[in-house]
Amino acid sequence: MRGLIIKDILFIKNTWKNLLIIFIGSLLLSIALGNYLLAICSVPIILLTSGINTFQTDEFYNTDAYTLSYPLSRRKIVTSKYLFTLVMMLISTYIGLMIYASINVVINPGVRGLNTDMLKQLLMLEISSLLVDAIFYPIIYKYGCEKSKFVLMSIVMLLLGVGSILSVYINIFKKATVNFEGIITFIDNYGLISLTILVIVASLISYGLSILAYRHKDF
Amino acid sequence: MNIEVKNLTKTFEEFTLDDITLKIPKGKIVGLIGENGAGKTTLIKCILDVMHADKGEVTLFDKRYHGSLKDDIGVVFDNSFINETFNIKDINLIMKNIYTNWDSKLFFKYMKEYHIPLKKEIKRLSTGMKKKIEIAVALSHHPKLLILDEPTSGLDPVIRSEVLDMFQDFVTDKNNSILLSTHITSDLEHIADDVIFISHGKIIFNKPLKDIKEEYIMLELAHEEYDKFKKNIIIRAKKNRLDYQILIHKKDMLKSYEKYIKNITTLDDIMLLYIKGVSICED
Repeated sequence: MRGLIIKDILFIKNTWKNLLIIFIGSLLLSIALGNYLLAICSVPIILLTSGINTFQTDEFYNTDAYTLSYPLSRRKIVTSKYLFTLVMMLISTYIGLMIYASINVVINPGVRGLNTDMLKQLLMLEISSLLVDAIFYPIIYKYGCEKSKFVLMSIVMLLLGVGSILSVYINIFKKATVNFEGIITFIDNYGLISLTILVIVASLISYGLSILAYRHKDF
Repeated sequence: MNIEVKNLTKTFEEFTLDDITLKIPKGKIVGLIGENGAGKTTLIKCILDVMHADKGEVTLFDKRYHGSLKDDIGVVFDNSFINETFNIKDINLIMKNIYTNWDSKLFFKYMKEYHIPLKKEIKRLSTGMKKKIEIAVALSHHPKLLILDEPTSGLDPVIRSEVLDMFQDFVTDKNNSILLSTHITSDLEHIADDVIFISHGKIIFNKPLKDIKEEYIMLELAHEEYDKFKKNIIIRAKKNRLDYQILIHKKDMLKSYEKYIKNITTLDDIMLLYIKGVSICED
């Protein structure tokens, strides 16, 4: 299992030039905008969603059949992907903190547009990325990367459709009004903790569904 | 037995691997031949649990199938390998964390023998070099069984011969065996003990190579000679523009037929006549 995690980390390591370019670009944009959130978050978020890239590369090189010839159960193969995501969470948090500290110390001590709230925002964005991973992984395990795009697009369209229908009914019957101020206050106070709980639950469900999907998959 | 397959069946929309039963004994090289789409790769994938069989049973090393048995199996697939953005050092690092018996020294020895650069990305190497890496990976964890799907495709004759020698060395240990699927049947003529011929998802024959060579003979007759030929001894016949190629049992051979022997009968000839030829009488 450790070998598969190393395999995915090595793949990400090999893309360091792209990550550096993205970081420099986002840093320049941040300096221009006077807000450093983009510079702090861009690389960590890309790292966290890179799990999806590893699926795509494996599919491109037909690696799945080969992986299944290793002395590993299908459950362990799926587990390794989730553990890899967890490792990336730690690495990306570390990198985010390092970027924050570097900007703070090296570029301009006490620079405007850089504050500790950004660390909270970084964490929230990272946790949101994990939620994206939790949604994507079982769909990719079930349908592969190519088909998954269409499946996800269909889900988004379906949700938009249902949302539109619901909003029409809410307006007709005037049974509910959306309290945006309340939502913002809730997110501000409990956003991080509720998002964390949501991601933990979603990841556990996602893990179970991925194992189920991969168990029956042929390559 | 290193592999025992019983009544294995896998059905797709337009193809069925039908009721396959076979054994790969210890100390043997078993060749798997058949046309494209005959079911060779499907069979290999079902043995390795890369594909799920609908029916049947696979036993490896006389044990019921479970994942850790694959520690003793080296695999080369026709069209599947590790991410090609990696280099040799990366592969070594990954594999030593996958296989319990991974032998880095042996792996780097193969790389040196094959003149493969250690730091170059695999995707920048030639097809032949990639194949050599796959073979080296399959051999570097001291497996007892090699399952190889087209392992010599893309290799030049010299390297192919070296690789075939390596396979023969591998089975000098009487506990080891090889299941080798290939289109290059001439490779099998030199090294295989047994040959399994699959066509349209069914086993046509599963025999020792020696027996096949002693059993069948191909004759080439002009059209008018074919018309006069005794039909009830012809197993398969293929009509060409200038002649007929026919397959008969050697036991039915008469002195007068010797003039129709134009070439030594090869596995390719037998396979071709079974696939493209017409059945004249039951084998």
